[in-house]
Amino acid sequence: MLLGGLYALLAAGLTLYFGIMRVVMIAHSAFLILAAYLAWWFNRETGIDPLVSLIVTVPLFFLTGVVMQRLLISRLKPLTLTMMSVLLTFAVALIIEGALGFFFTGTQRRIPLPYASASLDFLGAQVPVVKLIAFGLAALALVLLFVLLKYTRFGQALRATIQHPEAARLVGINTDRVAGYGFGLGLATAAIGGTALSLDATIYPSLHWHWIGPLMAIIVVGGLGSIPGAAIAALLLGIAQSLLQLPLGPTWAQTVFYIALFATLMFRPQGFFGGRLAQRF
Amino acid sequence: MPSVSSREPIATETVVVAPPAPRKRPAAKWVKLALIVVGAALILSFPTIAPNPYILSAGVVILNYAVLSTGWNFMGGFTGYISLGHAAFFGLGAYGTALLIKYLALPGFVAWIIAAVLVALIAIPIGFAALRVRGASFVIVSIAFVLIMLLVFQSWREVTGGSEGLVVPRPFPGMLRPEHHRVFFYLFVLLLAVSLVVWWIIDRSKFGTALKSIREDEDKAQSLGVPTDRYKLIAYMLSALFVALGGGLYALWFGDLDPIFQFSILIGSYMVLMALLGGVRNLFGPLLGAVVVGVALEYFKLEFGDTQFHLIATGILLGIVVLFMPDGIIPAVKSLLTRSSNEASIREVTAGELLEQNDKRTADASTQERSS
Amino acid sequence: MTAPRQGRRIAAAIGTLTIAALTVSACSGTGDQPEGGSSDDPIVIGISLPLTGDFSEPGKGVERGYEAWRDIINENGGLLGRQVELKILDDQSNADRVVSDYESLIAQDGVDLVFGPFSTRLVVPSARVAQEYGMLFVEPAGAAEEVFEQGFDNLFYAAPAIANDHYNNLADYLLALPEGERPETAAVASMDDPFAQGTAYGLRDKLEDAGVEVLVDEVYPPNTTDFSTIAAKIAQSDADIVIGGTQYQDAVNLIIALQQLDYQPELAAFSTAPTNPEFAAAIGGATEGILAPTGYSPKSQFPSNVEFVEKYTEMHGNPPSEDEANAYTTGQVVAAAVEAVGCAEQGECQQELIDWLRGNEVETVVGPLSWDETGKPTGAHLIQQWVDGEILIVLPEDVKETDFVFPKPAW
Repeated sequence: MLLGGLYALLAAGLTLYFGIMRVVMIAHSAFLILAAYLAWWFNRETGIDPLVSLIVTVPLFFLTGVVMQRLLISRLKPLTLTMMSVLLTFAVALIIEGALGFFFTGTQRRIPLPYASASLDFLGAQVPVVKLIAFGLAALALVLLFVLLKYTRFGQALRATIQHPEAARLVGINTDRVAGYGFGLGLATAAIGGTALSLDATIYPSLHWHWIGPLMAIIVVGGLGSIPGAAIAALLLGIAQSLLQLPLGPTWAQTVFYIALFATLMFRPQGFFGGRLAQRF
Repeated sequence: MPSVSSREPIATETVVVAPPAPRKRPAAKWVKLALIVVGAALILSFPTIAPNPYILSAGVVILNYAVLSTGWNFMGGFTGYISLGHAAFFGLGAYGTALLIKYLALPGFVAWIIAAVLVALIAIPIGFAALRVRGASFVIVSIAFVLIMLLVFQSWREVTGGSEGLVVPRPFPGMLRPEHHRVFFYLFVLLLAVSLVVWWIIDRSKFGTALKSIREDEDKAQSLGVPTDRYKLIAYMLSALFVALGGGLYALWFGDLDPIFQFSILIGSYMVLMALLGGVRNLFGPLLGAVVVGVALEYFKLEFGDTQFHLIATGILLGIVVLFMPDGIIPAVKSLLTRSSNEASIREVTAGELLEQNDKRTADASTQERSS
Repeated sequence: MTAPRQGRRIAAAIGTLTIAALTVSACSGTGDQPEGGSSDDPIVIGISLPLTGDFSEPGKGVERGYEAWRDIINENGGLLGRQVELKILDDQSNADRVVSDYESLIAQDGVDLVFGPFSTRLVVPSARVAQEYGMLFVEPAGAAEEVFEQGFDNLFYAAPAIANDHYNNLADYLLALPEGERPETAAVASMDDPFAQGTAYGLRDKLEDAGVEVLVDEVYPPNTTDFSTIAAKIAQSDADIVIGGTQYQDAVNLIIALQQLDYQPELAAFSTAPTNPEFAAAIGGATEGILAPTGYSPKSQFPSNVEFVEKYTEMHGNPPSEDEANAYTTGQVVAAAVEAVGCAEQGECQQELIDWLRGNEVETVVGPLSWDETGKPTGAHLIQQWVDGEILIVLPEDVKETDFVFPKPAW
């Protein structure tokens, strides 16, 4: 279930990209792993707790997101945007994976934390402390995101751009700039997620493929373009996966995502919890 | 009968294409034929020219890539549906062949054909689910498919050998390794030739035109009466068939199957890259792409082997192709050289062609009506 | 057909042919035909190792061992009076890469000899390449049963015992304990890798045959990093002993997960990982009582080992561990055959080397080695245990450095 929180945060980021720019960002999980590697590297070089690296990675990723959107995504022709964005972000994911392997080699890495094996007694079950921290971080980020979108002017501009770009432009919102910031926001969530991940997970360059499958399944099941939908789907599927892990084993339990994906496609291609953007795109 | 005579031009960005110049065609045709003959001769004599068996084995790998990307192009080139997870069929064909040999004791090549047919059949329900969505969703689904295949084949140890992999018995036991490479080189050439011929036939057929109309504007095609769902599924099946044939032949040649390699997203992206690079509309486009990328890959692996550089290179290349040359390398180079501006984007060229075809069809239909 | 499209097709065809022609001519330029080396040329040995990827840690250990062997033997005058050169390629822990690496080494570079790669998964396909080119294949790391069941007649494993026999000494010790002290239940978790499973199942089967109940028996794919479910199963079962068929990172992750759940077994045995120098730091120092089998100890007194340990420590600042030793042994085995037969090149010489090894014993840093007709060595492994922050030999009794600690103290 704790994993579900992380899934929800990541799926929210993905939905942002799709909602704003109709971009399917396959490289999201690659950035996730990049953030995890940066946290690990930070800890290795300085010995300080990796959570501190958030101070640097979040703004860095935000900037990267804005730059990516302005330089790369906006070059794609609008007619074939979604399709080409898949290929382009796929290429970016490959580049990131290659770069990680190049600089850090393919050896699996894990941050040795003094509190790695500590656990708390929670309602009779032993819950590892690191998983709690990761969940807390993800939940906090989601709450902040929600507050940002609902109550700030920037958030309102963002939502307007998502729901009706032309109308937004008419009202005077600089949709291009907002789109750039939205993209940056999405990548910033990847930075948070990645750092949370680095606390308890073993990372290696090709790990992002492990995440992209479930994430894609979540946004399809949740319905594209709906952040609450994605969050609900993430929690549901995350819980389902955890429940199935004991009887079926971790590898087979992962298939729950793919089964849900194919089932959604067969019966309700626009997703189950869809927002106003839910469509067969 | 639905009216196809609405002559409104399809809303596009630039001007329609210039009419064909028939007088040039006969000479160009002979030149083309000559080129094909020379090319074929080069390929067929490669085993003799190759200085050592290692180069020969690299040649087999490139041929394998050519078969895979041409097979992929049945789907991607004609219908415009880009599948990034096509390696799933590669792996299924390979494992299918191996499992049939192992459990049913079938002779190697019989198992190969049967496995490929089985995979094409499996592609039907998969395609049915996958093709319910368009464009980018389809790409996502294809990725999900290959990932789940990877999971299944890694975990189902009793049947597939799990991560340990599966050993495929040699179809020609006792044959020396260089000879083995040579035989399979020719087998791959044969497979490639068959797939090229089938592609060419479809390209010129009405079925092919219908598929291309799906690529241009699926809703319009549907409203024009094209049975899009059925045709897309057929194209998907054909593509799965050829890729599975490639996979099975690879299994017979290589001998050791490993799920991480057989169901690899990287192989899937190579297929796409090769076809896009060479040009998805050309018969020989994927083959060209396969040669270019395959040679580049081998070179990179030998020179920079102990880094992940080839991943970075693939990514950069794919990015460049997507951003600047979505039609493939040949048109891009050509337009740089000749500065012909009447082909700025994929769309209106074939839209113009589509108009022609429609006109021709109406003309034929009305001629038929008149004469009946 | 419109003219521009026509033109494109012609251009495509020309392009293909040009590139194909260039490729062929480029390749013919670089291919060197292998010739019999003259007596002053260096002997080139081809090797493919997983320097990156899943097996990179032990892979680099093997590389260090091979290089140490080359340096020491060159210092002592070389092989057959010729200097030795190693050509090492990185196969990234991939089975397809390892095949093309050996193919290029043998067929394109024309190396005189080959040494084996690391990990059973990579040994089987590469042995096949060597076999089909008629080359001798001595390898430092393919220890699982199935390597020897493939029908290779050119293969020799350079270590005392195969995977399934690694824990023999431990099994004997446990079963010799009196009724009240003997463990009654066991939990087994193993990576889906023939070597890791070989070691774990060897022990599991012997214990099971003697009446120990196996409560948990899990297998996981090689790149598994999340062990919470498996650890939960093991902790819930409360088995007396836990056996891990592991490599390195998975052992670390599993142990941390078990510690997080506060599971305290009487005995914990893991293959490979505990002998790695970074193991203690990786699991936060909680190593007390963990067992591991090993084929090698730097302190053993075999004559060639003393020299090896000395020189290696000079070069690297710390004594060699098992991977380096296995690599060094490989070098020793091949060198013995080469010196005895008197040749080092591709062709008929390889079969002579194979035949010689089949019938002779070789003195190495892990003791005297000899093999049966499938290439299996005939020996047994040592059992080591972490006691007071140091890893020491505890079994067999006659070579032990400290007493066996049982039951295991809390970690």
